[in-house]
Amino acid sequence: MTASFEVVGTRLPKLDAPEKVSGLVQYGDDLQIAGLLVGAIKRSPHSHARILNIDTSAAEALPGVKAVLHAGNVQQRPYGFYGDNIPLKPDIVRFVGDEVAAVAAVDEETAARAIALIDVEYEVLPAVFDAYAALEEDAPVIHPERNLTSNVSMRWDFDHGDVAGAERQAAVVVEGLYQSPLAAPAPIETHVTIASYDAHDHVTIWAPIHMVFLYRKEISQCLGIPWEKITVIQPPVGGSFGAKIDIDPHDFITVMLAEATRRPVKMSFSREDEFISTRTRQPIHFRMRSGADSHGNLLFRDVDIVSDNGAYNGWGSHAMLVAMQTCSSHYRVPNVRIRCAVAYTNKPWGGSVRGFGNPQATFAVEQQMEQLADALGRDPIDLRKQNAYHEGDVTPQGLRITSCGLDECLDRVRKQSGWDERRGRMKHLRRGLGAAAFTHVGGGARVYGSDGCGAMIKLDDSGRVTLISGSSELGQGSETALAMIVAEELGIPVESVAVVNSNTDIKPWDVGVHASRTTFIAGNAARMAAAEAKAMLFATAAPLLGAEPADLASAQGEIYVRDEPNRRIGVARVARRRLLSEGGSAVLANAFYDPPSEPMDETHRGNYSAAYGFGAHVAEVEVDVETGMIRLLNLWTAHDVGRAINPMAVEGQIEGGAAMGIGLALSEELTVNHGRVLGANFHDYGMPTAVDVPRIHVELVETIDGEGPFGAKGVGEGGLIPVPAAVANAVADAIGVRPSQYPMRPWKVLEWLDGASELPTVMGPTRG
Amino acid sequence: MADVLTPTSVADAISMLGAHPGAHLVAGGTDVMLDLRTGRSHADSLIDLSRLSSQLSGIRAEGGRWRIGAMTTIRALEDDRELARQAPAIGEAATVLGSPQIRTMATIGGNLAHGTPSAEMPPPLLVHDASVELVGADGTRTIPLADLFVGPGRTSMRRPEILTAVVCDATDGGCGSVYLRQTVRWAMDLAGVGVAASVRVVDGRIETARIALGAVHPVPLLVPLASAVVVGHSYDPGLAREAGRLAAEACTPITDARGSSDYRRRVVAALVPRALRIAWLRATGQFTADRAPINGVLNEEGR
Repeated sequence: MTASFEVVGTRLPKLDAPEKVSGLVQYGDDLQIAGLLVGAIKRSPHSHARILNIDTSAAEALPGVKAVLHAGNVQQRPYGFYGDNIPLKPDIVRFVGDEVAAVAAVDEETAARAIALIDVEYEVLPAVFDAYAALEEDAPVIHPERNLTSNVSMRWDFDHGDVAGAERQAAVVVEGLYQSPLAAPAPIETHVTIASYDAHDHVTIWAPIHMVFLYRKEISQCLGIPWEKITVIQPPVGGSFGAKIDIDPHDFITVMLAEATRRPVKMSFSREDEFISTRTRQPIHFRMRSGADSHGNLLFRDVDIVSDNGAYNGWGSHAMLVAMQTCSSHYRVPNVRIRCAVAYTNKPWGGSVRGFGNPQATFAVEQQMEQLADALGRDPIDLRKQNAYHEGDVTPQGLRITSCGLDECLDRVRKQSGWDERRGRMKHLRRGLGAAAFTHVGGGARVYGSDGCGAMIKLDDSGRVTLISGSSELGQGSETALAMIVAEELGIPVESVAVVNSNTDIKPWDVGVHASRTTFIAGNAARMAAAEAKAMLFATAAPLLGAEPADLASAQGEIYVRDEPNRRIGVARVARRRLLSEGGSAVLANAFYDPPSEPMDETHRGNYSAAYGFGAHVAEVEVDVETGMIRLLNLWTAHDVGRAINPMAVEGQIEGGAAMGIGLALSEELTVNHGRVLGANFHDYGMPTAVDVPRIHVELVETIDGEGPFGAKGVGEGGLIPVPAAVANAVADAIGVRPSQYPMRPWKVLEWLDGASELPTVMGPTRG
Repeated sequence: MADVLTPTSVADAISMLGAHPGAHLVAGGTDVMLDLRTGRSHADSLIDLSRLSSQLSGIRAEGGRWRIGAMTTIRALEDDRELARQAPAIGEAATVLGSPQIRTMATIGGNLAHGTPSAEMPPPLLVHDASVELVGADGTRTIPLADLFVGPGRTSMRRPEILTAVVCDATDGGCGSVYLRQTVRWAMDLAGVGVAASVRVVDGRIETARIALGAVHPVPLLVPLASAVVVGHSYDPGLAREAGRLAAEACTPITDARGSSDYRRRVVAALVPRALRIAWLRATGQFTADRAPINGVLNEEGR
């Protein structure tokens, strides 16, 4: 870490913060377009039903209504994994909230009245709401059109080594069932989509989404609109946390309404719509057994995983890939058997919410590490270090571990928390400490044909540098990080960099913002483009300075001769010289970075990320054993971030992720009663308030990754992932009873103390 | 959209209420507007009481009792230092009601007249022996607060009566009270269980005691059988536990997203002894903080 940087590593407030804190930013819902109509959706009131008849005559007759659409009068094709979804449901509805019809009207009130006037006749069908119940043989089949005879939407199996043989060698074996709730990403900005056609049948869509090129492709395929006749513009995203990764049926419906009316149409969700009909964090249940030898070396892990992904697949079905990775590759386990089933249920469907299957898996794996330590009489942090991966290792799934700071992260939280002096010694105060570590992708995730991102750099006659990035800002601070990377590479002040990243007609391709990949992937692309732009500037500057390009360097907006820094010239002057001289040329550079990772093969092996992130947390709790109330007193964290491009933003990501994890651990659950979401509001949902979040202590471990831009790795999700596990382990330390699920709400704590719910009464046939 | 009427006097408001059978009174609006928006209730018109605010607000000591105007905001109750000293349970309940934004709008009269079983303010007022003043077309009547509540969302007010003030005990040396509650979040949450207790201590013995429960019965509930157990004795953990047991027996909690009936009874049994202990410590000058920990767990030093 001897390299010295001008910009990278400085604590820079996010460049877009002033607009956001002052209310100047124009979000999607703020956009005004002349003639804008309001769209609204008629949703299913039933969890599972057959549509017998839709009568739209009264709605159509209402003055001010410009279009009423349903499956009978639109052109649409199935979309999603296995084509299990379609925007307006033609025959069957599968959860309370499914889209049945839609209207466009002159104002919100008229649209709402028209929706109420649409009369839909249903034949109610038997429904199933629990993943294990859905896998029973006599459960109603939710997607018979897929020729499925059960509700298993997908299966993933992974085998490595000899689990049965390893179990015979094991000195200790621990087991348990670890369950997680239906939760909501709950961004402050609800979904909003605007669509508008021009005179050339070209449609422009404004939507605060962040997988924009895949979104455009899905619009094209589902609605039969030529791909090149779609432009997508991303207004500033007011929070997503994964909620806005999947395309939502309303996106297609808004375009259909705009096509039908030939007027711009806006569809804007209420908070209730957001909780009821948009993507959820799926409950995932782990029945897990792990064994170790008498020295504490892990020997095997045997896991049956069931994901309750709701009515449709979406990206949420693939959370299993990450869950599987944590089971096989978080610690060194030579023998692994994993059986994953994704179940359909008649509930809101799962998306790829921050952490994407990893918080759920880490809740199981990290509790088992402490259970093993207890069984062996070992310190749990020592046991983790003994079984941790190190640089150069390859995991059973073929993950190649490069930079790895897990050991140091564990050491740091051990020291910060006073672990050695305090763990196990505060039971009289009903206080406890619990640790949990995590591994997550930190160099992209090859879940699509390309994991790449394009970048373009231009300098004009003002000397202002514009980075046109394929990637998007969604509040995570990526615009700032990318501007810092470009400024560092070019040797210019960060204020001289503009970032343009929100229009598919302008920006180069990118797979999208997910998997903590933006700083790593888009950052590498930006750095490559900036390096090319710098070479152009140096080629022009060299004769002006009487030197060779190789002898030049740049800093603070000036290019100078490295050995004679007084011979210097401003970057803007060089750009003008290049542009305005005879036979001139502009500084226009571009790059496309696709990381050196591999897709998973059919056995689920492959190094699908170019780097991995690591971290460890220790939580301290106090448990009121008479009421079950848990107070989180402290959370100490240490994260291997490769290099912190902007330490202030990295800490913010970790703290924000941790706060989200605290909500999952203690209070957040989307309560569903017979498929109906109860309390679709922030009062009932249980997101933590300021007093529920203690001081979060953050330490950054910089391992300087060989592939990341300036050594950086992804940090977007890690702060959240180990929190439920760390809190559960702390509760176990405080009261000697192990939580089997989260959120650890007060009455659950009393049930655990009563020994009432160690295991569920029904275990489904999950073994394949 | 409902019509909005804006009376400038109590008499005005009463005549409007009489003339518009489908009208709702709006004080802070924090309950009424939610009810209307979610369809829990319907109003043909709204009678906005904001212009009565100066006439009906204020916290005054009057003849050995507190008189609190019905339009007094929860925030004002939270901020009143003298009230916190003499009736700490009231200040404690005010501190945890909703969020700062809600407390700035919500009024004590609204919190009582809405008749919510889990409302924050009734239990502490009940243990301070509160009465409410109701003004109708035929004059004013004063009833014990306990008689105001009839069922969830229902009160004994006779239309077109308006609740104008709450009167409760001003306590002094020898008295102590407290409000505790169980929630999932530590703020901005409805009580799963609310417990208020007050004791008057004379010559080292509890002369009078009151215990009131919220969120565990169709109405906010005084449990005299439970508080009677501790009267005549100095604080005794065994008697306090017995009071908790009796209180848990006396209530009939429902099961909902904020806990099962059985769970809530257990919490009542746990919180009542803690409340009695803190009320005792306050009455005997051993606990002087303005605010007790909301779940009543004191640290080893008794703070």
